[in-house]
Amino acid sequence: MAAPGSAAQTTQPLASVPDRAEPATTVSGVPIDPLYTECNLEPLDGRRETQLGEPGCYPFTRGIHPTMYRGRLWTVRQFAGFGTPKQTNERFHFLLKQGQTGLSTAFDLPTLMGLDSDSPRALGEVGRLGVAVDTVDDIRELFQGIDLEKISVSMTINSPAIVIMAFFLVHAEESGFDWRKLRGTIQNDILKEFHAQNEFVFPPEPSVRLVVDLIEFCTEHVPQWNTVSISGYHIREAGSTAVQELAMTLADGMHYVEQCLARGLPVDSFAPRLSFFFNAHNDLFEEIAKYRAARSLWADLMRNRYGAREESSLKLRFHAQTAGCSLQDRQPEVNLMRVAYQALAAVLGGCQSLHTNSMDETLSLPSEHAVTLAVRTQQVLAYETGVPNTVDPLGGSYFVETLTEQMRREAEAYFEKIQSRGGMIRAIETGFFRREIAESAFAWQQAVDTRQKIVVGMNAFEESEEKPCDLHEVDPTVEQEQVEKLQSLRERRNATDWQAVLDELRRVAAENRNVLPALLQAARARATVGEIMDALADVFGRYAPGGESG
Amino acid sequence: MMTPPGIAPRIVLSKIGLDGHDRGIRIVARGLRDAGFHVIYAGIWQSPEAVVQAALDEDAGWLGISLLSGAHMTLVPRVLELLRTRGLDNVGVIIGGIIPNDDATKLTELGVKGIFGPGTSVPQIVDFLRTSAKSAEPADLVQRFVQKDRRALSRLLTLAARGELPEAVLRETRASVNNGGPRTSRTVALSGSGGVGKSSLIGRLVEFLRSLGQTVAVLCCDPESPLTGGALLGDRVRISKPAEDMGLFIRSLPARAGQQGIAEHLDVMMELLQLFGFQTVILETVGAGQGDTAVYGLADALVVLLQPETGDELQWEKAGLLEVADVVVVHKADLPGADATFSQVHELLNLPGSRAVPVLKVSAAKRAGLQELWDTLQGVPQRSQRDAR
Repeated sequence: MAAPGSAAQTTQPLASVPDRAEPATTVSGVPIDPLYTECNLEPLDGRRETQLGEPGCYPFTRGIHPTMYRGRLWTVRQFAGFGTPKQTNERFHFLLKQGQTGLSTAFDLPTLMGLDSDSPRALGEVGRLGVAVDTVDDIRELFQGIDLEKISVSMTINSPAIVIMAFFLVHAEESGFDWRKLRGTIQNDILKEFHAQNEFVFPPEPSVRLVVDLIEFCTEHVPQWNTVSISGYHIREAGSTAVQELAMTLADGMHYVEQCLARGLPVDSFAPRLSFFFNAHNDLFEEIAKYRAARSLWADLMRNRYGAREESSLKLRFHAQTAGCSLQDRQPEVNLMRVAYQALAAVLGGCQSLHTNSMDETLSLPSEHAVTLAVRTQQVLAYETGVPNTVDPLGGSYFVETLTEQMRREAEAYFEKIQSRGGMIRAIETGFFRREIAESAFAWQQAVDTRQKIVVGMNAFEESEEKPCDLHEVDPTVEQEQVEKLQSLRERRNATDWQAVLDELRRVAAENRNVLPALLQAARARATVGEIMDALADVFGRYAPGGESG
Repeated sequence: MMTPPGIAPRIVLSKIGLDGHDRGIRIVARGLRDAGFHVIYAGIWQSPEAVVQAALDEDAGWLGISLLSGAHMTLVPRVLELLRTRGLDNVGVIIGGIIPNDDATKLTELGVKGIFGPGTSVPQIVDFLRTSAKSAEPADLVQRFVQKDRRALSRLLTLAARGELPEAVLRETRASVNNGGPRTSRTVALSGSGGVGKSSLIGRLVEFLRSLGQTVAVLCCDPESPLTGGALLGDRVRISKPAEDMGLFIRSLPARAGQQGIAEHLDVMMELLQLFGFQTVILETVGAGQGDTAVYGLADALVVLLQPETGDELQWEKAGLLEVADVVVVHKADLPGADATFSQVHELLNLPGSRAVPVLKVSAAKRAGLQELWDTLQGVPQRSQRDAR
């Protein structure tokens, strides 16, 4: 291990005490000194008060609430979804019984790509990686028996986000819930799909317009809803560094804010409902610094660049999920320990809600046993470790404050870089983000292949025999069941109704009016996700994935 | 430098189905290039039909498929079945992704050669591909070519690219196909600096020509590493669609350093594609400099692409590529500055007394100017007729 902590109290120069031969770097390749002292904080001198502040006060480096977890623990929010809406509904009720305090919905790939379950492109993928949703009736089944005025619901969907939101609102209306009392989050973050995850349908500009349509509508009608979850998670999973995750995510947030302002929305009307979603990766202190830097950067941008005045507009609230890409398929139980440390980073970094991955996720969707252990990991952290007892326990640490300041500066340099590439949309179209991420991903792989970075059980401490684990299996009849249900609906519903509403939707889309009211009509007429997305594609066109493969 | 240049193993890499997680496949693509492979990256969201066509047209020894969607038991057997029915048993299939052990056993029984899970290192894949030798040369190429067997075309192109196609075979092919009649097909070369949008424009042009019912073949050149002989050939992604289309043929070619942005033996390859019956053959160079004029004379028409805001440099670059262009396209005409660039180029190339060169504004992104470009290209006389004058 590195130099002992007592070095600072002696006059002995660090160079003469034993240190590792290899230079120490974070997971992102950032060099780390053996010791941090008061001297490291010099660049902060004179600004320490403004950069650090008190918890619950600008710039919120130390957290968005004055009492943090003493006031209220973070929300345990496990992402779940598979098979038919009925099967996922059963998993939801199971999770609530285990002590989970919020729901988070995973949709299957056809739904995420705006396709119906009976589309030829959906073959083999219906209900595989999430729940299949074709119409508002599926949303009704999905949330059967769940009080949407009490339980907050998160829905991870992007390109068709506004369509699913319309389904959700129509379900709430038909079940007698008040839109003004609905609490939850829709991911609705299309930009990171272009950077990293590749689930997009329309070109960047109309895609962002739909994001703004949703923000505009919900700001007025569903005031407690988080209208977008600006996500770095997927950028990191695609192989970015921590700084890239931070900078690209905030740059995406800035683009949404600018588009909302261009729409004429007052900044303090919509900014309080913007939320964030970050990765919780292996490097404990780098991750903590990332969250702290994110809060102060965002507060500064909102106040000084965009003129926000309400305190709630300045607060960066975030969900964290432990890093799926850090999980290994060999010795999968070891993943339990990885997840626990990652969860610790998220909590020391002040997250508002947390998903802990299950140990078997590189092998399949999580089994009930694995998902229970993941929930228990958070419960041990919350109730046994004492970590939530004090606010921002690492505040003032020479090391953490230095890393936090470093992150801030590097992220700001990255914002400049994006501007110099012609701004967000141009940088997407020329493949800037994808190239940047691919470079970092390749560098990491090389470091692992050459054992400069150690991955336990993978390139070190391997076991010759692997024990099998019990895996969750997706019922193979799901696809057929979902397709039959959809086709029976197609026969039942009134054809002239849904076709007329889709014609109206095309008009509204072409005239640059907010499409959400027309989508509510389409949902009520039982138009399907695929039909609605096709109608929008008639107006917006479709976007082909780029060819930058380096 | 493990493999001599020209005979590097060719592998098509692609994702099938809807899952877009391409971190792994992009790392593998780059790692294989660095290990001296010619890697044809065919992109995400592909259908089984499209990847099999890519393997066929690219004459690839290997087809690498990545999928994390859980749909492998539906999609991979379909790929294997298609390879069999197209007579491509020589193509080795490898899979990357999350494949449970039971499924891996079944897929191996069905003919998958290698399965690589999340913990695989790039060197493991390289070693696997290097030690699994590929099959021998097929026979009766000319006869099968005449019978429109696409595999024969694909293999003859490979031989031609390596400079290994005997002149006698070419003569025999020529004689058996066209009986000395005049050719009706047309060849077009597109050149211009890197980032000017050659592949995107070709993609749109192909879409346009296919909508007219024309058959099209495209030869795309990408740089080959002078150190490893490897190449990452990614233009296919921007030209093809995720579905099968037998009226479109795309071959990705590595261009060696010092060859002015084009692969060798392109004349023979273009002729083979014409003899096979493709009505239009398009050649795309690597991002070329003004001095890279070797492409001149290869095709009936040479289209040089410029983009807005390159105007200032034109004064001293009159010589070179622009000088030999048959058509100049100001591409990305939807961007600011396009009109200014257009006027400057137009003025420069149409001085009194000099050869008039058509200058057009085109935007692949907005699908604008394609009809005009095509009309103009048809007005350029075929190279053979011009040479005769």
